[in-house]
Amino acid sequence: MIILHSAWREGRLFLWGEKGVNGEGGQPSRKPARRKDAKPPAHPRLAASGEIADAVRQAPMEFFPAAGDEAETVAWLPSAGGLPVPSSRLLGGMPESGVPAELENWRLRGLWLAPGVVMEWLGRCMDRKTLGPGMVLGDDIVFWTQALRFASSLTAREQFIPSLARVDDELVARWDAVWPGPDAGRLQELLKVMPHACRCLRCNGGAPVSSRMALEDFLRVQVDHMVRSSFSPAIAALNRRRRKEVFESIHEHWLHALRSPEGVLRDAEGDLEQLERQVREWRRPLTVATASSFRLCFRLEEPLVTGEGECAEAQGPWVVRYLLQAADDPSLIIDVKDAWHPTAARAMLLRRHDFNVREYLLSALGQAAGICPRIEESLKKAGPAGYELDDAGAYEFLTQKAWGLEQAGFGVMLPSWWTRKGTRARLSARVSVRSAAMQNTGALSLDEVVRFDWKLAVGDAELTAQELEALAHLKTPLVRIRGQWVQLSGDEIRAALEQWKKKGLTGALSVRELMRMAMGAHSAGRGAILEGVAAEGWVKEFLAQLQGDAAYEELPAPEGFCGTLRPYQIRGFSWLSFLKRWGLGACLADDMGLGKTIQLLTLIQRDWEKQNRAPVLLACPMSVVGNWQREAARFTPQLPVLAHHGMERARGADFRPLAARQAIVVTSYALLHRDFDLFKDVAWQGVVLDEAQNIKNPDTKQARAARLLKAQYRVALTGTPVENNVGDLWSIMEFLNPGWLGSRGEFKQNFFYQIQVDRDPEVFGRLKKLTGPFILRRLKTDKKIISDLPEKMEMKVFCPLTKEQASLYTAVVREATEVLEQKEGIGRRGHILATLLKLKQVCNHPAQFLGDHSAIEGRSGKLARLTEMLEEVLAEKDHALVFTQFAEMGTMLQRHLQETFGQEVFFLHGGTPKRERDEMVDCFQNAAGAPPIFLLSLKAGGTGLNLTRASHVFHFDRWWNPAVENQATDRAFRIGQTRRVQVHKFLCQGTLEEKIDAMIEAKKEVASGVVGAGEGWLTELSSEELKELFALREEAVQE
Amino acid sequence: MSWRDHYGFYQHSAPRVTHGGIKAQSRKGAFGEKWWARRWIATLESFQIGARLGRGRNYARNGQVLSVEVEKGRVQARVQGSRPTPYDVLIKVKTFSSGDCVRLGRALAGQALYAAKLLAGEMPGDIEKVLEKMGFSLFPGKLRDLQTRCSCPDSSNPCKHVAAVYYLLGEEFDRDPFLIFKLRGLNRDRLMALMGREEAKAGGRGKRKGGAKIEPVMAEKPDPLSTDAQLFWGGKELPSGWLGGVRTPPLHAALLKRLGSFPFWRADERFLEAVEAVYPGASEKGRKILAG
Repeated sequence: MIILHSAWREGRLFLWGEKGVNGEGGQPSRKPARRKDAKPPAHPRLAASGEIADAVRQAPMEFFPAAGDEAETVAWLPSAGGLPVPSSRLLGGMPESGVPAELENWRLRGLWLAPGVVMEWLGRCMDRKTLGPGMVLGDDIVFWTQALRFASSLTAREQFIPSLARVDDELVARWDAVWPGPDAGRLQELLKVMPHACRCLRCNGGAPVSSRMALEDFLRVQVDHMVRSSFSPAIAALNRRRRKEVFESIHEHWLHALRSPEGVLRDAEGDLEQLERQVREWRRPLTVATASSFRLCFRLEEPLVTGEGECAEAQGPWVVRYLLQAADDPSLIIDVKDAWHPTAARAMLLRRHDFNVREYLLSALGQAAGICPRIEESLKKAGPAGYELDDAGAYEFLTQKAWGLEQAGFGVMLPSWWTRKGTRARLSARVSVRSAAMQNTGALSLDEVVRFDWKLAVGDAELTAQELEALAHLKTPLVRIRGQWVQLSGDEIRAALEQWKKKGLTGALSVRELMRMAMGAHSAGRGAILEGVAAEGWVKEFLAQLQGDAAYEELPAPEGFCGTLRPYQIRGFSWLSFLKRWGLGACLADDMGLGKTIQLLTLIQRDWEKQNRAPVLLACPMSVVGNWQREAARFTPQLPVLAHHGMERARGADFRPLAARQAIVVTSYALLHRDFDLFKDVAWQGVVLDEAQNIKNPDTKQARAARLLKAQYRVALTGTPVENNVGDLWSIMEFLNPGWLGSRGEFKQNFFYQIQVDRDPEVFGRLKKLTGPFILRRLKTDKKIISDLPEKMEMKVFCPLTKEQASLYTAVVREATEVLEQKEGIGRRGHILATLLKLKQVCNHPAQFLGDHSAIEGRSGKLARLTEMLEEVLAEKDHALVFTQFAEMGTMLQRHLQETFGQEVFFLHGGTPKRERDEMVDCFQNAAGAPPIFLLSLKAGGTGLNLTRASHVFHFDRWWNPAVENQATDRAFRIGQTRRVQVHKFLCQGTLEEKIDAMIEAKKEVASGVVGAGEGWLTELSSEELKELFALREEAVQE
Repeated sequence: MSWRDHYGFYQHSAPRVTHGGIKAQSRKGAFGEKWWARRWIATLESFQIGARLGRGRNYARNGQVLSVEVEKGRVQARVQGSRPTPYDVLIKVKTFSSGDCVRLGRALAGQALYAAKLLAGEMPGDIEKVLEKMGFSLFPGKLRDLQTRCSCPDSSNPCKHVAAVYYLLGEEFDRDPFLIFKLRGLNRDRLMALMGREEAKAGGRGKRKGGAKIEPVMAEKPDPLSTDAQLFWGGKELPSGWLGGVRTPPLHAALLKRLGSFPFWRADERFLEAVEAVYPGASEKGRKILAG
């Protein structure tokens, strides 16, 4: 494993890698000799620069480091006992606690990244913990990705000016980032979280730079680069037109340098000095604003209200008050009145901030006066502190001036009823629909056309035409209605009136259109904003059900369903059925373990019983195909299920008739695309995507294929919270309800940019409203759900074998059965147990069976499934225990999981010393930010420990003794556990694991004594029984 | 340009082509957009020097003025004429007496508006009235307030070289209203201090002198590396939403526009136009990186 680090020095980022302490290719961590006046020793655990270059390339980008990029430099690193302390426990070999660390110099080897590479590469590292297996990003790199975000945000908001900088004694033209106002606060936030490793490199003179210097330099260099890399051909052409080397003036030279890739200015020193002076003079107003530790704010205060309730009346004027807000502490606010003539305490506060308050205030007010003439008026006396205004003035301030002032970098504070989006009362239009009562729903559809009336309202009060006319003549657009300030713009009212007169107030629309309107897809355009649909009759009922305001019919579980549905599962299945009935796609996004599979099977069973017998196509990851088959066999045994995968799958003309006989055809995402020609001709009843996050990228082949399939209904199942991930939402919604969110381009324009970049909560709210009715997500921590759940839920997880596993498995079985015939007594017993062990090892992982420390990734079905499921656990911010009975498997799992997730994974086994054991348990249970995954060997960790922070327990392999497994499970499921515990027992499908499990299930009722304390009972089986037990069923193997 | 021919008459000749002289930013029409700049130029134009005004304007636009230095009470400039050696131009302006300065400060301290406007790059609109009441003018009106000299052979004073410098100064006043005070012997800091002192007196409680420090320098606090591995290697979570939203600016290059023209700009391309063109594309680039 390599942990990547990067540190900034003098305009460039140095990237280097740190290796683990024990082996893994790292040099042995011997204490290097340190001689006086020799150059510092090389870091003993450095990754080779080739490996780092590979790491950079792993983030998909074209980057080939040039020979000159590879370099040595010297860093200050915390060291103890003559060795650098590992940056993370992932690397092992942490020094004994209590050994004091000190800073020592170490030689590092790595790559210098130019600003362009930094921009590209850090951009790819955003929101990631690893670059690939075993390539972990250090916290310092995570920090730089945040700093890059900030730099991009400064560039996007145009917070930069043309300027100059001195770099290596040369004058360079630079697009200089500036951070006046709130950006100073953001810079401060960043500084607070910056790991010192970001600036650990030795500079000239030895000391490292300060955090502020490092960060500011990074921002300036990156913003400058972003600006330069954004030039359009037209801008570049301006420079090319005059490629001559002689410039008529230093100004022309400067302009040229600002537009060229490199900005170095070489001119007579006198000219350069003059330019420097002029630039300084020119940007002086900004320098003052940037250096200011306070910001001028304007607060609009409402008139005092006298009386109560309906009789409440506003008296006196509105006031705009001038305030100073500290940049580093927004809660520190000083009334400007007190700042002109500060009391001793205030003066001290301002002085402590080293702030020329008077000059700043005057200059800021002078600028604000240019935006708002009323401010200018207020300055016509000494020590202005605000001004008064009437309703019309307040309206103007709210709608125009406040915005202008904010744009200019001033703070603006407005009454909460104005700023809280959605609660502001204003003129709104509603569509009013009267439709027949909901009867005989079978005949109704979304294509039904209904007549509607427009209704105009202010707040809750509906308006007549006369009232509207009267309002149109109001002088002040801000009126107080029923104790609430309401904004009424004359323009809006006139536009609404015009529309009213021209078009009349009735129309006709399809229910589908109405539905979109009701969910906020349309606004009424000019005039009033559309605030909703008020309907009567079945349309009302339908809309209310859709938006969750009214219950949809709860259906009884179909007769052929074997099992019990929990109340929330009944609701989920009824919800699916409700949307299906209206031809709408549904995304069931319940937490892992809540039974999405069962809810969907119920839906299909119900159709089957109602003689709707067209097949349903279900696409899922390869690792869960077997699981689906088994769950269907258990809960809906009447349903014919076809697993369409493997070499033996039906092709060509055989497929259609075969599929037509099924209730469910299960296939993998890979085949969804590859066998699309088979699938596209079948008249599917439904298309279901399990783990639907697999199509989050709409450009992938599987996503395209999924969208193209024809079906009467569509369902997506996923355990990850899609509704929060705006980028992924479009693809899934486009599959479910094509066109609902508009084309991809429209979606980007209307939602994605505004949410992802602008962070506009109103747009986010609109998107939620628009998609909410199609997404059902219940968390297992929901109060309603918790009461439905048993305290402990056990689930079997069926995993496929990889081809390699399957061939190893058959080889072991072949050899074992040959030998079996020749053995008797103790020899036979030993042979059987040895074979069992080998087969279990093969099921776990080929590398465990071979014991050859070979590669881990991609060779085991169980491992793939475990990784997928743990990813969900981590996404839910949950904690998990993973049990295995093999120490060597535990070691492999630890390494694999650490490398995959880039965070520490505890492993407790027989060899763990008592003290370390206690520390791990205590940390897992109590520490904030503790490693969320805890691996335990069944023997060492199966008893005694209290690990109730976990609510998921995984049994990676089986002990074939429920009592032992339960005891292990009880580490999490015991006193102190307040949540529901999910137990996932892993089995390889079609192998002895599945068969033994079935035998135990069958005998469970008899007595646990029958199966005995260990695996000994298996040796009592006859040879025929054993052969049957060992035999591998072909369908077990994955593609 | 002109030289004296053998009859002793002036003849025009083209001035020598300059490279990198100061170029007026206004392409045509009046110099200076702001009233106080116009007011300054009006003084020049009241001198009745005929066609020399027009030639002076062309000089200013073509970059014949090679350098301008504004000091207390005087402007020194070098202007390229038709002779190889540039002419030296000197404009002397009568400075305010220190008593006048104090009175002026007191008069302007009554309203915060004056200082605020000046700091925001604007000359307060009624400043002349205020000064008039006190019996003096901010702009040199009469010849006794203003002396001009040029090393050219033209006997007319002001000559076109003086006029060119005068026009360019007008543009500079546009940019920096403090410049005219500086010329009259009252630099920015002193003027701010005078206005502040008066205001502080009126308030009665103020202790801090105005204008003491204009650019507070962030003191570089000692910031040593920690030996604690957690502090050294470990990052912390940023508060959610720390970056805020990023709306496309409704008005491009707002910062640039707030700073305005560059002092004594010397290039063919106009400063604001050339630089402003960069902003929209850069903003888009930043948004793209943020969107991932």
